[in-house]
Amino acid sequence: MIKYILKRLLLIVPTFIGISLITYAMIRLAPGDYTTLRAGLQGELKAGAIGNEIIEQEKRLYGLDKPVIVGYWDWFSKLVVFDFGTSRKDGRPVAERIGEALPITLALNIISMIIVYIISIPGGILSALKKDSLYDRVSSLILFVLYSLPSFWVGLLLLMVLSGGDYLNLFPLGGIVSDWAEDFGFFDRMLNIAWHLMLPVATLTYGGFAFLSRYTRATMLEVINQQYIMTARAKGLSEKRVVLVHAFRNSLVPLVTLMATILPGLLGGSVIVESIFSIPGMGMLAFEAILARDIPVIMAIASISAALTLLGILIADILYGVVDPRIRLEAGQ
Amino acid sequence: MLLEKGLIYGNAGPYSTRTMDQLPGEYRIVKIFFRFFSSRALALAVALSLPIGCGDFSSVRDRHTLYIHLGSEPGHLNPITSTEAVASSINQHIYETLLDRDYDTAELVPQLAESWSISPDRLRYRFRLKKGVFWSDGVELTADDIIYSFRTIKDPKVACAPLKVYYIDVREVRKIDRYTVEFLYSKQYFRALEICGTIPIVPEHIFADGTDFNTHKNNRFPVGTGPYRFERWDTGKRIVLVRNDSYKGKAPDLHRIVYRIVAEPNIALQMVKKGEMDMMSVRAIQWVRQTNSDRFVKNFYKLQYYLPTYNYIGWNAARPLFADRRVRLAMTHLINRDAILDKLLFGIGEVVSGSSYIYSKGYDKSIKPWPYDPERARELLARAGWRDTDGDGILDRAGKKFAFTFTIPSGSKFAERLGTIMKEDLSKVGIEMDINRYEWAVFVQKLHQRDFDAVTLAWSLSWEDDPYQLWHSTQVAGGSNFCSFKNAEADDLIIRLRKEFDEKKRIRMYHRFHRILHEEQPYTFLYCTPAQVVVSKRFSDVKVHLRGLNYLEWKVAAIDD
Repeated sequence: MIKYILKRLLLIVPTFIGISLITYAMIRLAPGDYTTLRAGLQGELKAGAIGNEIIEQEKRLYGLDKPVIVGYWDWFSKLVVFDFGTSRKDGRPVAERIGEALPITLALNIISMIIVYIISIPGGILSALKKDSLYDRVSSLILFVLYSLPSFWVGLLLLMVLSGGDYLNLFPLGGIVSDWAEDFGFFDRMLNIAWHLMLPVATLTYGGFAFLSRYTRATMLEVINQQYIMTARAKGLSEKRVVLVHAFRNSLVPLVTLMATILPGLLGGSVIVESIFSIPGMGMLAFEAILARDIPVIMAIASISAALTLLGILIADILYGVVDPRIRLEAGQ
Repeated sequence: MLLEKGLIYGNAGPYSTRTMDQLPGEYRIVKIFFRFFSSRALALAVALSLPIGCGDFSSVRDRHTLYIHLGSEPGHLNPITSTEAVASSINQHIYETLLDRDYDTAELVPQLAESWSISPDRLRYRFRLKKGVFWSDGVELTADDIIYSFRTIKDPKVACAPLKVYYIDVREVRKIDRYTVEFLYSKQYFRALEICGTIPIVPEHIFADGTDFNTHKNNRFPVGTGPYRFERWDTGKRIVLVRNDSYKGKAPDLHRIVYRIVAEPNIALQMVKKGEMDMMSVRAIQWVRQTNSDRFVKNFYKLQYYLPTYNYIGWNAARPLFADRRVRLAMTHLINRDAILDKLLFGIGEVVSGSSYIYSKGYDKSIKPWPYDPERARELLARAGWRDTDGDGILDRAGKKFAFTFTIPSGSKFAERLGTIMKEDLSKVGIEMDINRYEWAVFVQKLHQRDFDAVTLAWSLSWEDDPYQLWHSTQVAGGSNFCSFKNAEADDLIIRLRKEFDEKKRIRMYHRFHRILHEEQPYTFLYCTPAQVVVSKRFSDVKVHLRGLNYLEWKVAAIDD
């Protein structure tokens, strides 16, 4: 087992280099760079050739004149000591910018993920048990309707109706914490933050139920028709035990695959939800960086999610062995 | 010449509210938002928020604080390296320049300078500083700060390319004494006084500490001489300025300015309505549809003013299709600018016929925009050889069909809808048009490479504009003359105009140049659209000037409830 994990960990290194190299090359080869974009069309104009010289000078300042592979090496050799460089936009260390955006994104994602899992998995199991019942049909209809609603629309609607002041005034109009809550004690501050997060969390979760509950339902259905379930029932086990221990545990195997996406998923923010609710999270950070070609920020976010994805896949593989002893990680000696 | 994408392409994403370039000291439209408080909404807010232990916003709110909407967050507030419109809208309260522009006449007036003189050969500009001007940390401003700022701009290690280009012809800045500086120009230029006078000035004692200028910590903690000083910055949330008590000029009535960062304009307007912001520049649809309720009109001023901008459709004259003046003119006759203005912009805006600011002296009011006239267009096209000879409904010439591609930045709703209308109207006379959308960076690259047939874009101008970079034939290669406009008389006018210091003569040249553009139609000029701002009636003395709004003169209105 240990040997397997070590082997996999070592394999992650070249994979990671491959991913980050391709990402870096793509940004560098894409049209536009930070300096030219910032200078706009104007940058080149004023004095023609002299203007171009000034632009070139500034590109050199940021290593944009170097070949892609050299630029990548410069970036990579800094990454090894966990130096993500400085953001072009505000001259601050990238780590600091991510450090500001990450906590709020993590909080939002963890809360919504927990809610989605808590509601979808039991809902899916129930649907499978009562296949084709009224409950099954109605619940899947509702979940699919929710799934189809675009989040920018729902988010705006929630804000307008529940916080706009024209109808109801139950929640704040975006943000994370009230201006006037700065000096509150810890508990009151948390309450205030929770109050602010209600609508964003609602917007992030409502569309997530459908996928997971249908997924659970499908895998559960597959298991529930197996002969060992019949055996379990035949030997007189309680229905609860049959479903939760014998059936559900076995239906977990495909769900584990989802684990691989959870870790990097925690990091990603939704640009739409963040911009509607004025939340300075990872989504906006990445989105703006990409549009502005702010390479250090793009690379930092891309490499962190690449690393987490690779780690997530590894964890999922290990978990397969835990949930299903039939799966062996290493080929027989 | 500035490219201001945000004005017209208001929905183009995070870049939408930023100027792509920036001229020192120039006023710019900024997406700022505001909002006022209604006592009823307040009472409701209190009642509903109390159960979860949250107090009410207004109870802690200082009546002398102005809350302004910011549509996007600036990276930093260094006036030399920043290019963002949002940054300059904040910086204009923190930093000062030698000269400023009068709010009503846009003439240059003294700010940090007490007086100035210009040598007879128009190559030396000498400024005498006011004495006793202090940076907000108590250090006196002297000639050394100006010289330091100039050297910083020229420093190859400082990332301020868009600003550098303006100072290419400034050879040197000399210190005459502690309070006198002299700018040396290497050639005569009619905008030299403005360019010297609006050079951004940063404190030497703060920035010259040996650390990298581009990432200096004070880029996000500015120290200036203006009426406000920087107080705090909560990243992603707000930037707060507080009145600078050591400011020499008249102290403003507003103690604090709080810029709240809200990316979504619908939410921002709702915050305005709810009383959480006092001021916001709104979009046309909000102006027309969402700000007319009795309650809104009772609580807010709706203000509108024109700034020097226009948008246009550019025809690439380097392509055989649009090389012919008659074809370009026909295109203009085929675009129903009045109807499009009504349909897409709610009729708010002016159709323009030339490249100067419509309310400037250089704009010749006697030149009326070409009318919508499909008949005349057909005639012009026929004369240029475009006829439907094979009866397929598409015009052709020498076996080639009249078909072209209209290149637009993706995400621009205006350009998108304009394209759709054009496609429809042009197909009626037998012209085939496709629309190509590109992400902004790609779009810019297409322009640089002259790889387009027709394009739509907006320019933001300075108060008195230099046509050189857009229209001189040398700028076809490498400059901003994307549409390859070449005209010998225009070239000559532009060169003479840049060295003409007699305003009357210069205006005559502008008018002649305007006439040439009108005849040649390198662009189909579209509209100059106004800035539309809502401001809480919490404030009085809110006046609209030629340059827009000036918070320094605002007063907090007496409480009426």
